[in-house]
Amino acid sequence: MSTDASTPTKGAFNGINDVKLVARQVRYEQLSFWLNPIGAFFTLGFSTIFLVMLSAIAGNTKIGAGYGSVKLVQYYLGSFVSYGVMAACFTVLAQTLVNRREMGLLKRLRLSPVPTWALLSAILLSTLVIAILQMVILLAVGRLGFGDYLPTHAVAFILTVVVGMLSFTGLGIGVSTLVPNADAAGPIISIVFFLLLAFSGLWFPIQPGTTLANVSAYFPVRHLITAVLASFNLPGGAQPWAWGDLEVMAIWGVVGLFIAARRWQWSPRRG
Amino acid sequence: MPAVSVRHLAKSYGEVEAVRDVSFEVEQGEIFALLGPNGAGKTTTVEILEGFRDRSGGDVETLGVDPATRATQRWLRTRIGVVLQELAVEPYYSVRQVLSRNAGYYPTPRPVEEVIEMIGLKEKADDRVKRLSGGQQRRLDVGLGVIGNPLLLFLDEPTTGLDPSGRRDSWDLIRRLAAGGTTVLLTTHYMDEVEALADRVAVLSHGEIVASGTPTSIGGRDSGAVTIRFMLPKGATEPDVPVAVTSIDNGLVQIVTDDELRVLHTLTGWALDHDHVLIGLAVVRVTLEDIYLKLTREALDDDETSGR
Repeated sequence: MSTDASTPTKGAFNGINDVKLVARQVRYEQLSFWLNPIGAFFTLGFSTIFLVMLSAIAGNTKIGAGYGSVKLVQYYLGSFVSYGVMAACFTVLAQTLVNRREMGLLKRLRLSPVPTWALLSAILLSTLVIAILQMVILLAVGRLGFGDYLPTHAVAFILTVVVGMLSFTGLGIGVSTLVPNADAAGPIISIVFFLLLAFSGLWFPIQPGTTLANVSAYFPVRHLITAVLASFNLPGGAQPWAWGDLEVMAIWGVVGLFIAARRWQWSPRRG
Repeated sequence: MPAVSVRHLAKSYGEVEAVRDVSFEVEQGEIFALLGPNGAGKTTTVEILEGFRDRSGGDVETLGVDPATRATQRWLRTRIGVVLQELAVEPYYSVRQVLSRNAGYYPTPRPVEEVIEMIGLKEKADDRVKRLSGGQQRRLDVGLGVIGNPLLLFLDEPTTGLDPSGRRDSWDLIRRLAAGGTTVLLTTHYMDEVEALADRVAVLSHGEIVASGTPTSIGGRDSGAVTIRFMLPKGATEPDVPVAVTSIDNGLVQIVTDDELRVLHTLTGWALDHDHVLIGLAVVRVTLEDIYLKLTREALDDDETSGR
Protein backbone atom coordinates (compact mmCIF):
# COMPACT_ATOMS: atom_id res chain seq x y z
CA MET A 1 0.00 0.00 0.00
CA SER A 2 1.20 3.47 -0.71
CA THR A 3 2.29 5.26 2.40
CA ASP A 4 1.82 8.79 1.18
CA ALA A 5 0.50 11.19 3.79
CA SER A 6 -2.84 11.78 2.12
CA THR A 7 -3.70 8.09 2.40
CA PRO A 8 -5.50 7.37 5.64
CA THR A 9 -5.31 3.99 7.30
CA LYS A 10 -6.65 1.52 4.81
CA GLY A 11 -10.30 0.82 5.43
CA ALA A 12 -10.93 3.74 7.76
CA PHE A 13 -13.18 6.53 6.57
CA ASN A 14 -12.50 9.94 8.02
CA GLY A 15 -14.57 12.45 6.13
CA ILE A 16 -17.13 14.90 7.44
CA ASN A 17 -19.70 13.47 9.81
CA ASP A 18 -22.80 11.94 8.33
CA VAL A 19 -25.40 14.24 9.90
CA LYS A 20 -23.61 17.26 8.46
CA LEU A 21 -23.38 15.43 5.16
CA VAL A 22 -27.16 14.90 5.07
CA ALA A 23 -27.85 18.53 5.98
CA ARG A 24 -25.48 19.67 3.27
CA GLN A 25 -27.03 17.33 0.74
CA VAL A 26 -30.56 18.57 1.60
CA ARG A 27 -29.36 22.10 0.90
CA TYR A 28 -28.08 21.07 -2.52
CA GLU A 29 -31.30 19.15 -3.23
CA GLN A 30 -33.24 22.32 -2.49
CA LEU A 31 -30.90 24.35 -4.67
CA SER A 32 -31.40 21.88 -7.50
CA PHE A 33 -35.20 22.13 -7.14
CA TRP A 34 -35.32 25.91 -7.09
CA LEU A 35 -32.78 26.31 -9.89
CA ASN A 36 -35.30 24.68 -12.21
CA PRO A 37 -38.03 27.34 -12.22
CA ILE A 38 -40.34 25.39 -14.51
CA GLY A 39 -40.21 22.36 -12.25
CA ALA A 40 -40.77 24.51 -9.19
CA PHE A 41 -43.71 26.24 -10.87
CA PHE A 42 -45.41 23.03 -11.91
CA THR A 43 -45.17 21.72 -8.39
CA LEU A 44 -46.00 24.70 -6.23
CA GLY A 45 -47.63 27.05 -8.70
CA PHE A 46 -50.10 24.65 -10.29
CA SER A 47 -51.94 23.63 -7.16
CA THR A 48 -52.22 27.23 -6.04
CA ILE A 49 -53.55 28.39 -9.39
CA PHE A 50 -56.07 25.53 -9.50
CA LEU A 51 -57.21 26.28 -5.99
CA VAL A 52 -57.68 29.97 -6.77
CA MET A 53 -59.52 29.29 -10.05
CA LEU A 54 -61.87 26.66 -8.70
CA SER A 55 -62.57 28.57 -5.53
CA ALA A 56 -63.32 31.71 -7.53
CA ILE A 57 -65.73 29.81 -9.77
CA ALA A 58 -67.37 28.03 -6.86
CA GLY A 59 -68.09 31.27 -5.01
CA ASN A 60 -70.69 30.62 -2.36
CA THR A 61 -71.99 27.34 -3.78
CA LYS A 62 -72.78 24.78 -1.11
CA ILE A 63 -71.93 21.14 -1.60
CA GLY A 64 -75.12 19.73 -0.18
CA ALA A 65 -76.18 16.09 0.09
CA GLY A 66 -73.78 14.02 2.23
CA TYR A 67 -71.65 17.00 3.10
CA GLY A 68 -74.36 19.20 4.63
CA SER A 69 -74.31 22.92 4.14
CA VAL A 70 -70.59 23.35 3.58
CA LYS A 71 -69.13 25.73 1.03
CA LEU A 72 -67.49 24.15 -2.00
CA VAL A 73 -64.43 26.40 -1.52
CA GLN A 74 -63.81 24.72 1.81
CA TYR A 75 -63.89 21.33 0.13
CA TYR A 76 -61.38 22.49 -2.48
CA LEU A 77 -58.94 23.60 0.20
CA GLY A 78 -58.95 20.07 1.59
CA SER A 79 -58.72 18.35 -1.77
CA PHE A 80 -55.87 20.57 -2.95
CA VAL A 81 -53.87 19.98 0.18
CA SER A 82 -54.04 16.33 -0.89
CA TYR A 83 -53.02 17.30 -4.39
CA GLY A 84 -50.02 19.16 -2.98
CA VAL A 85 -48.89 16.20 -0.92
CA MET A 86 -49.18 13.91 -3.90
CA ALA A 87 -47.51 16.34 -6.31
CA ALA A 88 -44.40 16.72 -4.17
CA CYS A 89 -44.07 13.23 -2.73
CA PHE A 90 -45.28 11.17 -5.65
CA THR A 91 -44.95 13.03 -8.93
CA VAL A 92 -41.82 15.10 -8.35
CA LEU A 93 -40.05 12.38 -6.40
CA ALA A 94 -40.75 9.61 -8.93
CA GLN A 95 -39.80 11.86 -11.82
CA THR A 96 -36.58 12.95 -10.11
CA LEU A 97 -35.57 9.40 -9.30
CA VAL A 98 -36.16 8.14 -12.85
CA ASN A 99 -34.28 11.06 -14.38
CA ARG A 100 -31.34 10.68 -12.04
CA ARG A 101 -31.18 6.96 -12.52
CA GLU A 102 -31.21 7.25 -16.31
CA MET A 103 -28.62 10.04 -16.34
CA GLY A 104 -26.28 7.89 -14.27
CA LEU A 105 -26.46 10.30 -11.32
CA LEU A 106 -27.65 7.62 -8.91
CA LYS A 107 -24.85 5.31 -9.93
CA ARG A 108 -22.26 8.03 -9.59
CA LEU A 109 -23.48 8.94 -6.11
CA ARG A 110 -23.58 5.28 -5.20
CA LEU A 111 -19.88 5.13 -6.11
CA SER A 112 -19.03 8.22 -4.05
CA PRO A 113 -18.20 7.91 -0.35
CA VAL A 114 -21.68 9.21 0.55
CA PRO A 115 -23.50 6.37 2.33
CA THR A 116 -26.67 5.23 0.59
CA TRP A 117 -28.88 5.98 3.57
CA ALA A 118 -27.58 9.56 3.73
CA LEU A 119 -28.20 10.07 0.06
CA LEU A 120 -31.76 8.73 0.17
CA SER A 121 -32.65 10.55 3.40
CA ALA A 122 -31.53 13.81 1.87
CA ILE A 123 -33.78 13.27 -1.14
CA LEU A 124 -36.74 12.39 1.11
CA LEU A 125 -36.18 15.25 3.54
CA SER A 126 -35.94 17.68 0.66
CA THR A 127 -39.20 16.30 -0.75
CA LEU A 128 -40.90 16.77 2.61
CA VAL A 129 -39.67 20.37 2.82
CA ILE A 130 -41.33 21.07 -0.52
CA ALA A 131 -44.53 19.28 0.46
CA ILE A 132 -44.79 21.24 3.71
CA LEU A 133 -44.10 24.52 1.97
CA GLN A 134 -46.76 23.68 -0.58
CA MET A 135 -49.27 23.03 2.17
CA VAL A 136 -48.53 26.26 3.99
CA ILE A 137 -49.06 28.20 0.76
CA LEU A 138 -52.38 26.46 0.06
CA LEU A 139 -53.69 26.97 3.58
CA ALA A 140 -52.67 30.63 3.45
CA VAL A 141 -54.33 31.19 0.08
CA GLY A 142 -57.52 29.45 1.21
CA ARG A 143 -57.67 31.32 4.48
CA LEU A 144 -56.72 34.78 3.26
CA GLY A 145 -58.15 34.64 -0.23
CA PHE A 146 -61.43 32.85 0.31
CA GLY A 147 -62.08 33.03 4.03
CA ASP A 148 -61.82 29.25 4.43
CA TYR A 149 -61.36 28.02 7.94
CA LEU A 150 -58.24 26.07 8.78
CA PRO A 151 -58.28 22.44 9.97
CA THR A 152 -60.37 22.26 13.12
CA HIS A 153 -58.26 19.44 14.50
CA ALA A 154 -54.68 20.46 13.95
CA VAL A 155 -53.18 17.27 15.34
CA ALA A 156 -55.43 15.05 13.22
CA PHE A 157 -54.55 17.19 10.21
CA ILE A 158 -50.81 16.94 10.80
CA LEU A 159 -51.00 13.20 11.39
CA THR A 160 -53.00 12.71 8.21
CA VAL A 161 -50.64 14.79 6.15
CA VAL A 162 -47.57 13.02 7.55
CA VAL A 163 -49.05 9.60 6.85
CA GLY A 164 -50.03 10.84 3.38
CA MET A 165 -46.52 12.10 2.68
CA LEU A 166 -44.90 8.87 3.78
CA SER A 167 -47.38 6.78 1.83
CA PHE A 168 -46.97 8.73 -1.38
CA THR A 169 -43.22 8.82 -0.93
CA GLY A 170 -43.27 5.01 -0.78
CA LEU A 171 -45.47 4.92 -3.86
CA GLY A 172 -43.30 7.48 -5.64
CA ILE A 173 -40.18 5.40 -5.08
CA GLY A 174 -42.07 2.24 -6.09
CA VAL A 175 -43.42 3.74 -9.31
CA SER A 176 -40.00 5.13 -10.24
CA THR A 177 -38.70 1.57 -10.37
CA LEU A 178 -41.50 0.59 -12.78
CA VAL A 179 -40.79 3.36 -15.29
CA PRO A 180 -38.42 2.01 -17.96
CA ASN A 181 -36.80 5.25 -19.13
CA ALA A 182 -36.69 9.02 -18.79
CA ASP A 183 -38.91 9.66 -21.81
CA ALA A 184 -41.68 7.53 -20.39
CA ALA A 185 -41.44 9.07 -16.92
CA GLY A 186 -43.42 12.26 -17.59
CA PRO A 187 -46.41 10.66 -19.34
CA ILE A 188 -46.69 7.59 -17.09
CA ILE A 189 -46.37 9.45 -13.82
CA SER A 190 -48.64 12.35 -14.84
CA ILE A 191 -51.38 10.05 -16.10
CA VAL A 192 -51.38 8.02 -12.90
CA PHE A 193 -51.35 11.24 -10.92
CA PHE A 194 -54.23 13.00 -12.68
CA LEU A 195 -56.40 9.92 -13.12
CA LEU A 196 -56.14 8.97 -9.48
CA LEU A 197 -56.82 12.52 -8.39
CA ALA A 198 -59.75 13.00 -10.77
CA PHE A 199 -61.74 9.97 -9.76
CA SER A 200 -60.82 10.39 -6.11
CA GLY A 201 -62.67 13.70 -5.87
CA LEU A 202 -60.12 16.43 -6.50
CA TRP A 203 -62.35 18.48 -8.81
CA PHE A 204 -65.77 17.73 -7.34
CA PRO A 205 -67.07 16.17 -4.15
CA ILE A 206 -67.82 12.49 -4.53
CA GLN A 207 -70.99 11.48 -2.77
CA PRO A 208 -70.51 8.53 -0.43
CA GLY A 209 -72.11 5.30 -1.59
CA THR A 210 -71.81 6.00 -5.33
CA THR A 211 -69.95 3.62 -7.65
CA LEU A 212 -67.15 6.16 -8.03
CA ALA A 213 -66.78 6.38 -4.27
CA ASN A 214 -66.65 2.60 -4.00
CA VAL A 215 -64.08 2.17 -6.76
CA SER A 216 -61.87 5.02 -5.63
CA ALA A 217 -61.91 3.60 -2.11
CA TYR A 218 -59.45 0.96 -3.30
CA PHE A 219 -56.87 3.63 -4.05
CA PRO A 220 -54.95 5.82 -1.60
CA VAL A 221 -55.81 9.28 -2.94
CA ARG A 222 -59.47 9.08 -2.01
CA HIS A 223 -58.48 8.24 1.54
CA LEU A 224 -56.02 11.09 1.76
CA ILE A 225 -58.74 13.50 0.63
CA THR A 226 -61.38 12.16 3.02
CA ALA A 227 -58.92 12.06 5.91
CA VAL A 228 -57.85 15.65 5.27
CA LEU A 229 -61.49 16.74 4.96
CA ALA A 230 -62.27 14.93 8.22
CA SER A 231 -59.67 17.04 10.04
CA PHE A 232 -61.50 20.08 8.64
CA ASN A 233 -64.60 18.62 10.22
CA LEU A 234 -66.02 17.93 6.76
CA PRO A 235 -68.62 16.59 6.24
CA GLY A 236 -70.24 18.27 9.24
CA GLY A 237 -69.92 16.28 12.43
CA ALA A 238 -67.42 13.82 10.95
CA GLN A 239 -64.87 12.13 13.19
CA PRO A 240 -61.55 14.00 12.79
CA TRP A 241 -59.59 10.81 13.34
CA ALA A 242 -59.91 8.91 10.09
CA TRP A 243 -58.07 5.75 11.15
CA GLY A 244 -59.50 3.62 8.38
CA ASP A 245 -58.24 6.06 5.74
CA LEU A 246 -54.80 6.25 7.31
CA GLU A 247 -54.63 2.48 7.32
CA VAL A 248 -55.33 2.19 3.59
CA MET A 249 -52.71 4.84 2.84
CA ALA A 250 -50.16 3.07 5.00
CA ILE A 251 -50.80 -0.20 3.18
CA TRP A 252 -50.27 1.49 -0.18
CA GLY A 253 -47.06 3.07 1.05
CA VAL A 254 -45.77 -0.31 2.14
CA VAL A 255 -46.74 -1.80 -1.23
CA GLY A 256 -44.73 0.97 -2.93
CA LEU A 257 -41.69 0.27 -0.77
CA PHE A 258 -42.02 -3.44 -1.36
CA ILE A 259 -41.95 -2.92 -5.13
CA ALA A 260 -39.01 -0.55 -4.73
CA ALA A 261 -37.06 -3.04 -2.63
CA ARG A 262 -37.49 -5.68 -5.29
CA ARG A 263 -36.86 -3.59 -8.34
CA TRP A 264 -34.56 -0.79 -7.24
CA GLN A 265 -31.63 -0.23 -9.55
CA TRP A 266 -28.80 2.29 -9.41
CA SER A 267 -27.73 2.08 -13.03
CA PRO A 268 -29.65 3.34 -16.02
CA ARG A 269 -32.05 0.81 -17.53
CA ARG A 270 -31.78 2.39 -20.97
CA GLY A 271 -35.05 0.58 -21.62
CA MET B 1 1.75 -3.17 -5.28
CA PRO B 2 -0.30 -2.85 -8.47
CA ALA B 3 -3.25 -0.43 -8.41
CA VAL B 4 -5.52 -3.16 -9.72
CA SER B 5 -5.02 -6.88 -9.72
CA VAL B 6 -7.49 -9.28 -11.30
CA ARG B 7 -7.04 -13.06 -11.32
CA HIS B 8 -9.41 -15.52 -12.96
CA LEU B 9 -12.33 -13.14 -12.64
CA ALA B 10 -15.70 -14.61 -13.60
CA LYS B 11 -19.19 -13.17 -13.64
CA SER B 12 -22.38 -14.86 -14.77
CA TYR B 13 -25.89 -13.56 -15.02
CA GLY B 14 -27.90 -16.73 -14.76
CA GLU B 15 -26.80 -18.84 -17.71
CA VAL B 16 -24.90 -16.05 -19.40
CA GLU B 17 -21.18 -15.80 -18.66
CA ALA B 18 -20.44 -12.11 -19.06
CA VAL B 19 -16.82 -12.43 -17.94
CA ARG B 20 -14.74 -15.64 -18.06
CA ASP B 21 -11.34 -16.16 -16.51
CA VAL B 22 -10.11 -12.60 -16.92
CA SER B 23 -6.71 -11.77 -15.42
CA PHE B 24 -4.69 -8.57 -15.64
CA GLU B 25 -2.83 -6.05 -13.54
CA VAL B 26 -2.72 -2.29 -13.69
CA GLU B 27 0.46 -0.69 -12.36
CA GLN B 28 0.36 2.51 -10.39
CA GLY B 29 0.58 5.59 -12.57
CA GLU B 30 -0.16 3.92 -15.89
CA ILE B 31 -3.04 4.31 -18.32
CA PHE B 32 -4.51 0.90 -18.93
CA ALA B 33 -7.19 0.30 -21.56
CA LEU B 34 -9.76 -2.45 -21.81
CA LEU B 35 -10.61 -2.55 -25.49
CA GLY B 36 -13.53 -4.48 -26.88
CA PRO B 37 -16.84 -4.31 -28.72
CA ASN B 38 -20.12 -3.61 -26.95
CA GLY B 39 -21.14 -6.52 -24.78
CA ALA B 40 -17.59 -7.83 -24.39
CA GLY B 41 -17.73 -7.51 -20.61
CA LYS B 42 -15.75 -4.28 -20.18
CA THR B 43 -18.29 -2.43 -18.05
CA THR B 44 -19.05 -5.50 -15.97
CA THR B 45 -15.33 -5.92 -15.21
CA VAL B 46 -14.95 -2.28 -14.25
CA GLU B 47 -18.08 -2.35 -12.09
CA ILE B 48 -16.68 -5.31 -10.17
CA LEU B 49 -13.41 -3.44 -9.62
CA GLU B 50 -15.32 -0.41 -8.35
CA GLY B 51 -17.27 -2.54 -5.90
CA PHE B 52 -20.53 -1.71 -7.66
CA ARG B 53 -21.19 -5.29 -8.70
CA ASP B 54 -20.42 -8.64 -7.07
CA ARG B 55 -18.35 -11.23 -8.90
CA SER B 56 -19.09 -14.92 -9.35
CA GLY B 57 -15.48 -16.10 -9.03
CA GLY B 58 -11.82 -15.18 -9.00
CA ASP B 59 -9.75 -12.73 -6.97
CA VAL B 60 -9.82 -8.98 -7.30
CA GLU B 61 -7.93 -6.25 -5.52
CA THR B 62 -8.43 -2.55 -6.06
CA LEU B 63 -5.83 -0.38 -4.29
CA GLY B 64 -4.96 -3.35 -2.18
CA VAL B 65 -8.44 -4.15 -0.90
CA ASP B 66 -11.16 -6.48 -2.12
CA PRO B 67 -13.81 -4.12 -3.57
CA ALA B 68 -16.57 -6.48 -2.45
CA THR B 69 -15.62 -6.17 1.23
CA ARG B 70 -18.21 -3.95 2.87
CA ALA B 71 -15.97 -2.79 5.71
CA THR B 72 -13.49 -1.10 3.37
CA GLN B 73 -15.90 -0.02 0.65
CA ARG B 74 -16.38 3.49 1.90
CA TRP B 75 -12.66 4.01 2.25
CA LEU B 76 -12.16 2.66 -1.26
CA ARG B 77 -14.72 5.11 -2.59
CA THR B 78 -12.74 8.02 -1.19
CA ARG B 79 -9.70 6.87 -3.18
CA ILE B 80 -11.26 6.06 -6.55
CA GLY B 81 -12.89 8.32 -9.10
CA VAL B 82 -15.50 7.18 -11.57
CA VAL B 83 -16.58 8.58 -14.91
CA LEU B 84 -19.52 6.71 -16.43
CA GLN B 85 -20.67 6.25 -20.00
CA GLU B 86 -23.54 8.60 -19.28
CA LEU B 87 -22.86 12.29 -18.85
CA ALA B 88 -23.79 12.21 -15.19
CA VAL B 89 -24.03 15.93 -14.48
CA GLU B 90 -27.09 17.72 -13.12
CA PRO B 91 -28.27 20.33 -15.62
CA TYR B 92 -29.34 23.16 -13.33
CA TYR B 93 -26.32 23.73 -11.12
CA SER B 94 -23.46 25.93 -12.21
CA VAL B 95 -20.11 24.29 -12.89
CA ARG B 96 -18.73 25.64 -9.61
CA GLN B 97 -21.78 24.58 -7.59
CA VAL B 98 -21.74 20.98 -8.72
CA LEU B 99 -17.98 20.65 -8.19
CA SER B 100 -18.25 22.22 -4.71
CA ARG B 101 -21.08 19.88 -3.81
CA ASN B 102 -19.14 16.76 -4.77
CA ALA B 103 -15.91 18.03 -3.18
CA GLY B 104 -17.77 17.89 0.12
CA TYR B 105 -18.23 14.14 -0.20
CA TYR B 106 -14.49 13.46 0.12
CA PRO B 107 -12.08 13.78 3.04
CA THR B 108 -9.23 15.27 0.97
CA PRO B 109 -10.68 16.81 -2.18
CA ARG B 110 -8.79 18.77 -4.79
CA PRO B 111 -9.46 22.51 -4.57
CA VAL B 112 -12.52 23.36 -6.70
CA GLU B 113 -10.77 26.23 -8.47
CA GLU B 114 -7.85 23.98 -9.37
CA VAL B 115 -10.21 21.47 -10.98
CA ILE B 116 -12.07 24.21 -12.85
CA GLU B 117 -8.75 25.36 -14.26
CA MET B 118 -7.64 21.83 -15.08
CA ILE B 119 -10.81 21.06 -17.07
CA GLY B 120 -10.53 24.37 -18.89
CA LEU B 121 -13.87 25.77 -17.75
CA LYS B 122 -12.67 28.90 -15.97
CA GLU B 123 -14.75 31.20 -18.17
CA LYS B 124 -17.77 28.95 -17.73
CA ALA B 125 -17.48 28.36 -13.99
CA ASP B 126 -20.70 30.22 -13.20
CA ASP B 127 -22.67 28.97 -16.20
CA ARG B 128 -25.39 26.40 -15.84
CA VAL B 129 -24.27 22.91 -16.77
CA LYS B 130 -27.00 22.63 -19.41
CA ARG B 131 -25.49 25.58 -21.30
CA LEU B 132 -22.19 23.75 -21.84
CA SER B 133 -21.32 21.93 -25.04
CA GLY B 134 -21.08 18.14 -25.06
CA GLY B 135 -17.30 18.25 -24.84
CA GLN B 136 -17.39 20.75 -21.98
CA GLN B 137 -19.93 18.63 -20.10
CA ARG B 138 -17.69 15.62 -20.55
CA ARG B 139 -14.74 17.55 -19.16
CA LEU B 140 -16.84 18.59 -16.17
CA ASP B 141 -17.80 14.94 -15.82
CA VAL B 142 -14.12 14.00 -15.68
CA GLY B 143 -13.60 16.90 -13.24
CA LEU B 144 -16.26 15.34 -10.98
CA GLY B 145 -14.40 12.06 -11.30
CA VAL B 146 -11.20 13.56 -9.94
CA ILE B 147 -12.58 16.12 -7.45
CA GLY B 148 -11.96 13.66 -4.61
CA ASN B 149 -8.27 13.47 -5.56
CA PRO B 150 -8.40 9.76 -6.41
CA LEU B 151 -5.42 7.44 -6.69
CA LEU B 152 -7.27 5.49 -9.36
CA LEU B 153 -9.67 6.80 -11.98
CA PHE B 154 -12.12 4.58 -13.88
CA LEU B 155 -13.22 5.96 -17.23
CA ASP B 156 -16.00 4.03 -18.94
CA GLU B 157 -15.98 4.97 -22.63
CA PRO B 158 -14.98 8.55 -21.90
CA THR B 159 -15.31 9.93 -25.42
CA THR B 160 -18.29 8.05 -26.86
CA GLY B 161 -20.54 10.56 -28.56
CA LEU B 162 -18.07 13.45 -28.57
CA ASP B 163 -17.04 15.40 -31.65
CA PRO B 164 -13.36 15.25 -32.71
CA SER B 165 -12.31 18.38 -30.85
CA GLY B 166 -14.19 17.28 -27.75
CA ARG B 167 -12.37 13.95 -27.87
CA ARG B 168 -9.00 15.62 -28.26
CA ASP B 169 -9.67 17.90 -25.28
CA SER B 170 -10.70 14.90 -23.18
CA TRP B 171 -7.57 13.02 -24.19
CA ASP B 172 -5.38 15.96 -23.19
CA LEU B 173 -7.10 16.10 -19.84
CA ILE B 174 -6.66 12.38 -19.23
CA ARG B 175 -2.98 12.58 -20.18
CA ARG B 176 -2.44 15.46 -17.76
CA LEU B 177 -4.14 13.52 -14.97
CA ALA B 178 -1.95 10.52 -15.62
CA ALA B 179 1.14 12.72 -15.73
CA GLY B 180 0.13 13.97 -12.29
CA GLY B 181 0.31 10.42 -10.97
CA THR B 182 -3.31 9.26 -11.20
CA THR B 183 -3.66 5.67 -12.36
CA VAL B 184 -6.26 5.42 -15.13
CA LEU B 185 -8.26 2.38 -16.15
CA LEU B 186 -10.34 3.13 -19.20
CA THR B 187 -12.69 1.11 -21.34
CA THR B 188 -13.23 1.95 -24.97
CA HIS B 189 -14.19 0.53 -28.32
CA TYR B 190 -12.06 3.04 -30.19
CA MET B 191 -8.67 1.92 -31.47
CA ASP B 192 -7.41 5.47 -31.90
CA GLU B 193 -8.21 6.18 -28.26
CA VAL B 194 -6.05 3.28 -27.18
CA GLU B 195 -3.22 4.45 -29.43
CA ALA B 196 -3.51 8.02 -28.18
CA LEU B 197 -3.68 7.25 -24.47
CA ALA B 198 -2.89 3.78 -23.27
CA ASP B 199 0.42 2.52 -21.93
CA ARG B 200 -0.97 -1.00 -22.04
CA VAL B 201 -4.10 -2.56 -23.44
CA ALA B 202 -6.07 -5.77 -23.03
CA VAL B 203 -8.51 -6.78 -25.74
CA LEU B 204 -11.70 -8.23 -24.37
CA SER B 205 -14.07 -10.25 -26.52
CA HIS B 206 -17.05 -12.24 -25.31
CA GLY B 207 -15.93 -12.01 -21.72
CA GLU B 208 -12.37 -13.18 -22.34
CA ILE B 209 -9.05 -11.44 -22.83
CA VAL B 210 -7.87 -12.40 -26.31
CA ALA B 211 -4.68 -10.33 -26.34
CA SER B 212 -2.76 -7.89 -24.21
CA GLY B 213 0.36 -5.80 -24.44
CA THR B 214 1.38 -2.31 -25.46
CA PRO B 215 -0.62 -0.68 -28.28
CA THR B 216 2.42 -0.88 -30.58
CA SER B 217 3.20 -4.54 -29.95
CA ILE B 218 -0.20 -6.12 -29.47
CA GLY B 219 -1.13 -9.01 -31.72
CA GLY B 220 2.43 -9.24 -33.14
CA ARG B 221 1.99 -5.81 -34.64
CA ASP B 222 5.61 -4.72 -34.23
CA SER B 223 7.00 -7.71 -36.10
CA GLY B 224 4.24 -8.12 -38.67
CA ALA B 225 4.48 -7.99 -42.42
CA VAL B 226 3.58 -4.93 -44.46
CA THR B 227 1.60 -4.69 -47.66
CA ILE B 228 3.02 -2.73 -50.60
CA ARG B 229 0.45 -1.56 -53.13
CA PHE B 230 0.56 0.18 -56.49
CA MET B 231 -1.22 0.18 -59.84
CA LEU B 232 0.45 -1.97 -62.50
CA PRO B 233 2.10 0.57 -64.87
CA LYS B 234 0.91 0.92 -68.46
CA GLY B 235 2.76 -1.42 -70.80
CA ALA B 236 3.86 -3.75 -67.99
CA THR B 237 2.41 -7.17 -67.18
CA GLU B 238 2.54 -9.16 -63.98
CA PRO B 239 5.61 -11.22 -64.92
CA ASP B 240 7.53 -7.95 -65.54
CA VAL B 241 7.30 -7.02 -61.85
CA PRO B 242 10.71 -7.92 -60.35
CA VAL B 243 9.40 -9.16 -57.00
CA ALA B 244 6.91 -11.85 -55.94
CA VAL B 245 3.37 -10.52 -56.33
CA THR B 246 0.90 -11.68 -53.73
CA SER B 247 -2.21 -10.65 -55.61
CA ILE B 248 -3.34 -8.54 -58.51
CA ASP B 249 -6.85 -7.26 -58.88
CA ASN B 250 -8.00 -4.82 -61.59
CA GLY B 251 -4.41 -3.69 -61.98
CA LEU B 252 -3.87 -3.15 -58.25
CA VAL B 253 -0.77 -5.07 -57.26
CA GLN B 254 -0.36 -6.19 -53.66
CA ILE B 255 2.89 -7.49 -52.26
CA VAL B 256 2.99 -8.78 -48.70
CA THR B 257 6.50 -8.86 -47.30
CA ASP B 258 8.48 -8.51 -44.10
CA ASP B 259 11.45 -7.14 -46.05
CA GLU B 260 9.90 -3.89 -47.15
CA LEU B 261 13.12 -1.95 -47.66
CA ARG B 262 14.67 -4.38 -50.12
CA VAL B 263 11.42 -4.95 -52.00
CA LEU B 264 10.83 -1.21 -52.35
CA HIS B 265 14.38 -0.68 -53.56
CA THR B 266 14.00 -3.34 -56.25
CA LEU B 267 10.60 -2.01 -57.27
CA THR B 268 11.55 1.64 -57.54
CA GLY B 269 14.80 0.76 -59.37
CA TRP B 270 12.80 -1.25 -61.90
CA ALA B 271 10.29 1.58 -62.36
CA LEU B 272 13.01 4.21 -62.91
CA ASP B 273 14.87 1.99 -65.40
CA HIS B 274 11.70 1.49 -67.45
CA ASP B 275 10.23 4.97 -66.98
CA HIS B 276 7.22 3.47 -65.20
CA VAL B 277 5.04 5.51 -62.90
CA LEU B 278 3.87 3.57 -59.84
CA ILE B 279 0.51 5.21 -59.29
CA GLY B 280 -0.85 4.93 -55.73
CA LEU B 281 2.36 3.46 -54.32
CA ALA B 282 1.78 2.82 -50.61
CA VAL B 283 3.25 0.84 -47.76
CA VAL B 284 0.51 -0.27 -45.42
CA ARG B 285 1.37 -1.49 -41.96
CA VAL B 286 -1.23 -3.59 -40.21
CA THR B 287 -3.28 -1.22 -38.04
CA LEU B 288 -4.46 -1.74 -34.51
CA GLU B 289 -7.90 -1.86 -36.02
CA ASP B 290 -6.92 -4.83 -38.24
CA ILE B 291 -5.53 -6.65 -35.22
CA TYR B 292 -8.56 -5.84 -33.16
CA LEU B 293 -11.00 -6.99 -35.84
CA LYS B 294 -8.99 -10.15 -36.39
CA LEU B 295 -8.82 -10.93 -32.67
CA THR B 296 -12.47 -10.28 -31.92
CA ARG B 297 -13.52 -12.18 -35.05
CA GLU B 298 -11.38 -15.18 -34.12
CA ALA B 299 -12.99 -15.24 -30.71
CA LEU B 300 -16.39 -15.13 -32.37
CA ASP B 301 -15.51 -18.02 -34.70
CA ASP B 302 -14.24 -20.07 -31.76
CA ASP B 303 -17.51 -19.41 -29.99
CA GLU B 304 -19.51 -20.53 -32.96
CA THR B 305 -17.55 -23.71 -33.54
CA SER B 306 -17.82 -24.60 -29.88
CA GLY B 307 -21.57 -24.26 -30.33
CA ARG B 308 -22.22 -21.34 -27.99
